[in-house]
Amino acid sequence: MKFDMTLALADKPGQLLRALEPIAKNGGNIISIIHERDRPVEGYVPVSLVVDFPSRQSFRNTINDLRSLGIAIIKSEEVVEKVRLTFILIGGVDLRKVVESKIRDMGVIGLEVSTSRLGEVSVKLDIEVPAENADDLMDELKRLAKEQNALLISPIYP
Amino acid sequence: MRLLLIGFGFLGKELVKALRDKINLIRRLDGDFRAVGAVDSKGYLYNKEGLNIEGLSNLNRLSEHEGYRAGRAAVELISKDFCDVIVEATPTNIVNGEPGLTHIRLALSRGIHVVTPNKGPLVLAFRELTSLAEKNDCELLYEGAVAGAIPVFSLVRECLQGDRIVRLSGILNGTTNYILSRMFFEEISFDIALKEAQEKGIAERDPSYDVDGIDAACKIVILANALMGRDARLEDVERIGIRGITQEAISLAKKANYAIKLIGTIDRKLEVAPKLVPINHPLCVHGTLNAIHIETDLAREITLVGYGAGKETVSAILNDLITVLKKRAGKTNSIFEA
Repeated sequence: MKFDMTLALADKPGQLLRALEPIAKNGGNIISIIHERDRPVEGYVPVSLVVDFPSRQSFRNTINDLRSLGIAIIKSEEVVEKVRLTFILIGGVDLRKVVESKIRDMGVIGLEVSTSRLGEVSVKLDIEVPAENADDLMDELKRLAKEQNALLISPIYP
Repeated sequence: MRLLLIGFGFLGKELVKALRDKINLIRRLDGDFRAVGAVDSKGYLYNKEGLNIEGLSNLNRLSEHEGYRAGRAAVELISKDFCDVIVEATPTNIVNGEPGLTHIRLALSRGIHVVTPNKGPLVLAFRELTSLAEKNDCELLYEGAVAGAIPVFSLVRECLQGDRIVRLSGILNGTTNYILSRMFFEEISFDIALKEAQEKGIAERDPSYDVDGIDAACKIVILANALMGRDARLEDVERIGIRGITQEAISLAKKANYAIKLIGTIDRKLEVAPKLVPINHPLCVHGTLNAIHIETDLAREITLVGYGAGKETVSAILNDLITVLKKRAGKTNSIFEA
């Protein structure tokens, strides 16, 4: 499981090695590290890391160990791989209202609607979801399309 | 080798012209090659010494030719007494496969090679027909049945022998691709684009076979059975056509750098449906072109683009005939070598 961490290290020799020891001790595998020495803030240097831990517990243990070493943790959060998908729904006049009522739960980051002279509504949805939830999203949109007797156009390889 | 041509419609006539133009190339492989018979729905021509291909290529109807035997049927000639290979090019019928299914069954059971662009028999009885061919040690080749001139079956058979196909997808119907392309480029409605396609002869008067995705679904079934070891039927394909697509939807997609295309897909399931295809994706081709995107475990991705219908299909039929000739002659080298 990947975690994105930003630490504030004192700008003196040996600090980076000191911070890396608890990570290694708890089984963390460093994916990337950015040591921004040219951006010190009040004598502290930000270090951004992406670390792959074997479990959330090993991540939590690392955080505790870093804190007990007096190392400040500015940010620590799990990296969730997300995908951005675009869909189009085509249906009747009620479609817009229905979609707008459901989008909060779907991770919609963009919505565009166009209505034809005959009253057919076309709705474009841009949705961002964790990659592991993409299939569930597809199923939900298919259900919505079926309920509303609408045509769902999915991306070619969701 | 003695060829019997069954079906003297558009493709049958184009094939005869191709045989006329390429006869020297064919006779380099088989000096004794001749077309001994040509059959239409009302009768046939037959000459065991070989019909005059030049003369045949000038006919509009077989009945115009001297010696035409009206009221006779192809089944009389499907015998090793009369022919070694048939090209079965009768109109496709996905309800019961006839008359093509009877012709192909009879030919294969008698050890006669079959080359066919006819989808109906392949959709309805693929496993049965391929087993018959294997049992009787003869060839059943159908390159022209899916995506016309695009040599997808030959490519996989000859050039991807070590690969496992993971997913296959494609634009398999030129009529719907034409309609959707016109809607995309000219910003016109589905109804106007369809009318235009009908006026140009690209869509039939009853376009449902194409616009409702049935034609594409037939091709997906054949591809799945032939290339991915499935035992699929037409009813296994989840199918949605393009009738409900609005000009507004096409414009929304275009603004976001997508085109809407009718895509057939074979992975965990079989599907034909309109999809959003990124404009820079190799499958995003326009007009009446077809495209097939093959994903394998070794080669990764290969995309083939070409004409899926029309006289270009003759390329596939002729190549299949040449394959049969070469196998019979025990030749594996290029036909272009001296």
